[in-house]
Amino acid sequence: MPIKCNLCEAGAILKRPKTGDALCKNCFYFAFEEEVHKTITDANLFVRGETVAIGASGGKDSTVLAYVLKALNQRYDYGVNLVLLSVDEGITGYRDDSLETVKRNQQQYDLPLKIVSYEELYGWTMDAIVKQIGLKNNCTFCGVFRRQALDRGAILMKVDRIVTGHNADDIAETVIMNVLRGDIGRLQRCTAITTGTEGALPRSKPFKYTYEKEIVMYAYFKKLDYFSTECIYSPNAYRGFARAYIKDLEKIRPSAIIDIIHSGESLSVKKAVKLPTQGTCERCGYISSNPLCKACILLEGLNRGLPRLGIGKSHKERRKLNEMLAQKEEAGNEKTTPDNSRETTENASSEKSASGSSKQKCENCSCGQKCLAEKVEDLQLDRRKIDPALIDF
Amino acid sequence: MCSVQEGEDVSPARKEKIVEERTCMKCEKKAVLVTRVNDAFCKECFMVYVTHKFRAAIGKSKLIRDGESVLVGVSGGQASSCLLHLIQEGLSGRAHKKLRFKPGLVFIDEGATIGMSAEERLANCTQVLEIMEKTGFPCYLKALEQAMELEKEAFTNTADQTDTASVTSVENLTKLHRYDKAEEELLALMDSLKSVSAKEDLIKSLRQKILIDLALKKGYSKVMLGDCSTRLAVQLLTDIAQGRGAHVAMDTAFADNRCNDITIVRPIRDFSSKEVAMFNILNNVPSVFIPRITTKAADSVSIEHLTERFVTGLQAEYPSTTSNIMRTGEKLHTEKKSSSENQCAICQAPLDTDVPPSSALSAVRFSETVSRCSSVTLSIFSTDTACCGGGTCQSEGQKESECCGQGDGSCQSKESKLTRDEVESALCYACRLLIKDLGDVSKLPKHILDDISQRQRRTKMKSEIEDFLLDPSNTPD
Repeated sequence: MPIKCNLCEAGAILKRPKTGDALCKNCFYFAFEEEVHKTITDANLFVRGETVAIGASGGKDSTVLAYVLKALNQRYDYGVNLVLLSVDEGITGYRDDSLETVKRNQQQYDLPLKIVSYEELYGWTMDAIVKQIGLKNNCTFCGVFRRQALDRGAILMKVDRIVTGHNADDIAETVIMNVLRGDIGRLQRCTAITTGTEGALPRSKPFKYTYEKEIVMYAYFKKLDYFSTECIYSPNAYRGFARAYIKDLEKIRPSAIIDIIHSGESLSVKKAVKLPTQGTCERCGYISSNPLCKACILLEGLNRGLPRLGIGKSHKERRKLNEMLAQKEEAGNEKTTPDNSRETTENASSEKSASGSSKQKCENCSCGQKCLAEKVEDLQLDRRKIDPALIDF
Repeated sequence: MCSVQEGEDVSPARKEKIVEERTCMKCEKKAVLVTRVNDAFCKECFMVYVTHKFRAAIGKSKLIRDGESVLVGVSGGQASSCLLHLIQEGLSGRAHKKLRFKPGLVFIDEGATIGMSAEERLANCTQVLEIMEKTGFPCYLKALEQAMELEKEAFTNTADQTDTASVTSVENLTKLHRYDKAEEELLALMDSLKSVSAKEDLIKSLRQKILIDLALKKGYSKVMLGDCSTRLAVQLLTDIAQGRGAHVAMDTAFADNRCNDITIVRPIRDFSSKEVAMFNILNNVPSVFIPRITTKAADSVSIEHLTERFVTGLQAEYPSTTSNIMRTGEKLHTEKKSSSENQCAICQAPLDTDVPPSSALSAVRFSETVSRCSSVTLSIFSTDTACCGGGTCQSEGQKESECCGQGDGSCQSKESKLTRDEVESALCYACRLLIKDLGDVSKLPKHILDDISQRQRRTKMKSEIEDFLLDPSNTPD
């Protein structure tokens, strides 16, 4: 006997992973969309008139997110202006293909699209980075750079908010990861539905309570066009453990994913515990808990041929850096001894103005190339100031 | 509380890097063991190190006063045997500075939960009792099914005085098996729980209830447990996976003060299971292996069992796993609510169900509503944002049940059956999950049901007089 849908008279075609209820196709769409709508309204994610960028990778989460948000924006009249924003990490055979999907999505959903690339922002593609660092720790670069790249792209597009396709499984996984790493600051932040409210652009996760499996189901039944290939550079091994654990938990008790998120939401941190204070990076002005943001440190390491700077134990790399600096200084002293002091003061002042105006510059210039040229200049200017900060790090 | 898995750490696959001949990091004598990567110890220095850790944990907390009576939970496993040995050493004249508290020991027989025969249970009890009696401390023997017969108010209980009296001879053991009715009730409760995870969780709460109850009756003010760091790290992750994030700190900290009169302390929480095992081997500390509900089961049998595999597996590859997890736990705390009405009726932890509209709990409720109610009902619900009506549309068992209508809290009517919603309202997020697994809520132990119906009556009373209360938040304790 065919199972009937819980809500209507039609035959059920699926069992919801989240609640175990049998539903027909239309009732599932309805439940899925209503839940996302409730998440959005309960957390006041959208303000009428705002421009919202959807971080689009071409994968299932962001494809479904773009589709659902467009539908909900029409149905419930949020009055927001949706745009697509993609980051091109420069991974041949992976990102170039998935970006094709995003471009198709752009036409299907009729949303404006902007692609920012690592190459134009940092001068390095992931392919080039992997050549330097190998297949270990490369995900650190990609992750750190992408976070900033999205923000920069969003500033270029003049949007008010970024939404990403992080789903409940991703968040549960992050909670577990942060417990395993003892990272209390991130543990506290990772379950927030919106982050970066002060200073940076706010980022939200409308799929916070949506199961990955249901996203796949939704895409499958709606026949949405998405790209599903694992990144060709090996995935983060440690995160893989957490992921496997979550999947095993879900098999034992399907609600475990939401339960973990509930745990994350209800954790309270001792008052005596020092949390890292969020400041801004001295060099690029991006939010950072250290004087220099991770992206700047990683980038500096790449540019100086010390790609492991900022990865793992810092003391070894720092020693290498110190040696390099010492050598340079010796060489430099011979040449530039007379005007050394003048140069530093000049640098300091120009650096200040440069970092102050860099944001505006990026906003103003429409093409990435020019911006890059200025960045390179900045780089050379502020290198002297960066060195002490790097050594501190 | 200790299991075979914990013991596995004792003989890890030796890597060739480890040189056979090593000297103690303290005294340069020949080392007999390696605690952490590079820390080799000789036997004497290891004993000093372990004893110091134990005493420092007790001393630093400043919780245990001179002459205080402390009830020590002994499971027979490695960790609690180690704890027992350390207490004995500390109280003996040999100790450098004598510990000054007065211990009493208790063993809780959980044989009923895995369907052991009376003979097997007797054999286990005899073994553990032998170990306990050798110490000369007062010993108590309890069975998990006794939790089914506990009264809500521990002090008013006089009925089973003889049963809880100190059992000092093996002959008295037969008394245990007088709990036939309770055993049946416990078995029925266990059978109606579908998942092993929920069973484990409930057993833990019942065990804790018995410990607290015994401590109250016998005038102990602390309960001491032999949880080691490996065990607690597993507990912490299990808590998170079961939605007990708010209670992580209570479940894993040195002191657990969820019950007002009794504090639970965990003095060997800094010991890894490896250290425990090595301590026991070097001192010939006897321990008893008693199978539990997940012994010999597949990894995926329960959340706790899976988590244990996950943590021990990671620990083998990344030796800092346990300490990382424990370090996270140390930075957390559990906010204690003053009124007992804000405690979960099952696990006694503060309720964590008072959440803002944008939260996992309300998202779950909404999911249930949206996939169980027809869209017509939903449109009514969605207009009222505060209503999440998780249960209101489930048709089964929704009969209005009122108590006999005295309204003064003196209702004695046994007929008044609690509905699922009423029970849920008195439980924390994680215990609600437990109840979801339970076929029939009336199978819960009497003390829990009594507690919940008393709360119901009080809420009802309060709502009747609400208009005349000057400050609505002001409730008498």
